[in-house]
Amino acid sequence: MKPILTRTLTLTLALTGLAAATTYPLTLTDDLNRKVTLRAEPKRIVSMLPSDSETLCAIGACDKLVGVDDYSDYPQKVTTLPKMGGLYDPRIEAIVALKPDLVLVSRYGKIVEPLTQAGITVVAVNPETYEEVFAKTLVLGRIVNREAQAKNLVTQMRRDIARTEILTKNAVKKPSVYVEVDPTPYSIGPNSFMGVLLTKAGGRNIIPASMGDFPKVDPEFIVKANPQLILGVDAKVAAARPGWGSMTAVKAGKAMALPKELDTIFSRPGPRMPQALAGLARLIHPELFK
Amino acid sequence: MGSDAQRDAPRAEALPAAALAAEPRWVWPRTLLLLLLLLSAIVLGTGLGSVTIAPGEVLGALWRGLASQFTGAELGSNDVIVWQIRLPRVMMGVLVGASLSVCGGAFQGVFRNPLADPYLLGVASGSALGATLAIVLNWPRPLIPVSALFAALLAVAATLSLAREGRRFPPTRLILAGVVVGSVLSAATTALILRGEDRARQVLAYTLGDLGFSGWRDVLTVLPYAGLGCGVLLLLARALDTLQLGDLTARSLGVPVERLRLIVVIAASVATAGAVAYVGVIGFVGLIVPHMVRLAFGASHRILLPLSALLGGALLVYADLLARTSPLSQVGIVTTLLGGPFFLWLLRREKDI
Repeated sequence: MKPILTRTLTLTLALTGLAAATTYPLTLTDDLNRKVTLRAEPKRIVSMLPSDSETLCAIGACDKLVGVDDYSDYPQKVTTLPKMGGLYDPRIEAIVALKPDLVLVSRYGKIVEPLTQAGITVVAVNPETYEEVFAKTLVLGRIVNREAQAKNLVTQMRRDIARTEILTKNAVKKPSVYVEVDPTPYSIGPNSFMGVLLTKAGGRNIIPASMGDFPKVDPEFIVKANPQLILGVDAKVAAARPGWGSMTAVKAGKAMALPKELDTIFSRPGPRMPQALAGLARLIHPELFK
Repeated sequence: MGSDAQRDAPRAEALPAAALAAEPRWVWPRTLLLLLLLLSAIVLGTGLGSVTIAPGEVLGALWRGLASQFTGAELGSNDVIVWQIRLPRVMMGVLVGASLSVCGGAFQGVFRNPLADPYLLGVASGSALGATLAIVLNWPRPLIPVSALFAALLAVAATLSLAREGRRFPPTRLILAGVVVGSVLSAATTALILRGEDRARQVLAYTLGDLGFSGWRDVLTVLPYAGLGCGVLLLLARALDTLQLGDLTARSLGVPVERLRLIVVIAASVATAGAVAYVGVIGFVGLIVPHMVRLAFGASHRILLPLSALLGGALLVYADLLARTSPLSQVGIVTTLLGGPFFLWLLRREKDI
């Protein structure tokens, strides 16, 4: 009787995800190369990165959030939380006043030191590359004791991404694409997570890997590359730029700003990456989504 | 007034009459030399870049580009790069470099202060604030230089009224006032940048100085500002020379000193506002170019100002060429990296300051 009960209990626990429970104290190396120890499962978390906020919510730890940065806007739940400022203007005192037992920060900014001195546990979880998005999701899962959910989320994301990828792989023609993330102009290299999504969406990035992940681009390089599709630049703006009127994409009316929603999720290395990919694929290969 | 004359005396000494007198024998060879330098800058700036185009093709592209103005013919992609992207960018470099250098030379002369330049007097910071405001508020492009000019005039008025000591503008006070006004305005610009999040990087790049996306339309918009401002300054060269002998002497020679200062400041603000409007704050050009010319070719403003225009134009085109073919990426970064050390060297050299 007893072994069966134990086994049933174990099975139940496994199914609810508690089987993979994190054991605290948990020591890990964060994205600032600091060794951080969490004494117990964090219950009051402040997230200073929109992608971290989204991930926490996606793995069922949304209730633990007590504060977020100004740019966290998804899911609905986080928009009602107190805003703790941004990368350049964090409201450190307000964060301390929330009495969090964990603050998630980016590897940039300067809030680690003062918060640590205030006795608050700070962990930098800052996905930047495509694969890091999955790896950091698992790390967050461990940190908040939602390992099984994190694993499920990663599996789900990879499955959704593969679903879009199967479609775009069969695309007959893959247009060359210039993606502008900033009008100075900055673009995305193929090894950045956005660049990986662009390739998976069936576009050929005109930016070579050698130029870096988010390179400032010489305008004449773009004209020379003469992409068939321009994303991130409004058609009117594109036509008004010196020399751009003669580009294939501009003449064919294939220059467009990204829809606002897609623009946000495309630039966010978090759980909505599959949606970003699907949205991009629709723009690049409308013929596949009839 | 007596003390005024005494204080003026060492400055007049520091600029011996020999330096003030034009040396006609050497003017033309020197002008020719700098003209060649400018021409080579234009040729290289148009020929080289992130995309390699053979010299023969550059010439062909220029010809076809010019011809297409009349025939409306379609241009190939290399032609577009040369004619619509590189050449206007180079021309903008020439205009901006020349404007900033002439303004710097005129400022140094009118305030008899070797450290004066559009940047140090707050004119550039004012222009930058005005232009940033226009960018953040999404005003139409032709309004950017207007807004820049307006803010520049306000900035320089603030600097001058802060620095004024009776009728004089002592060098230290002028620099201090300029630094303070410049800092306050830069802070205001930064505040604007942080509020206009979406355009933050665009505006940041702008405050670092960038010639990218300069088209013919921008060049033609800046041209009248540069032409008018620099033209007036060049016409005032002889008066600026006289002013080097001291306010009193100049006045006794019939130069309306106060009015001259005012006109120089306004003309320089016009030229600086045009220069700063589309390409941002490009540091140190206005400061170092007049000194280079003075060291190499003499201090008379009749030589200094036109030669500064030539050298400044050439220098900025070369700096931009370096910027777009190297990871330094922006011309303002290049000029500041090169100009900063030169400025320090100048500080050590001029014990007089």
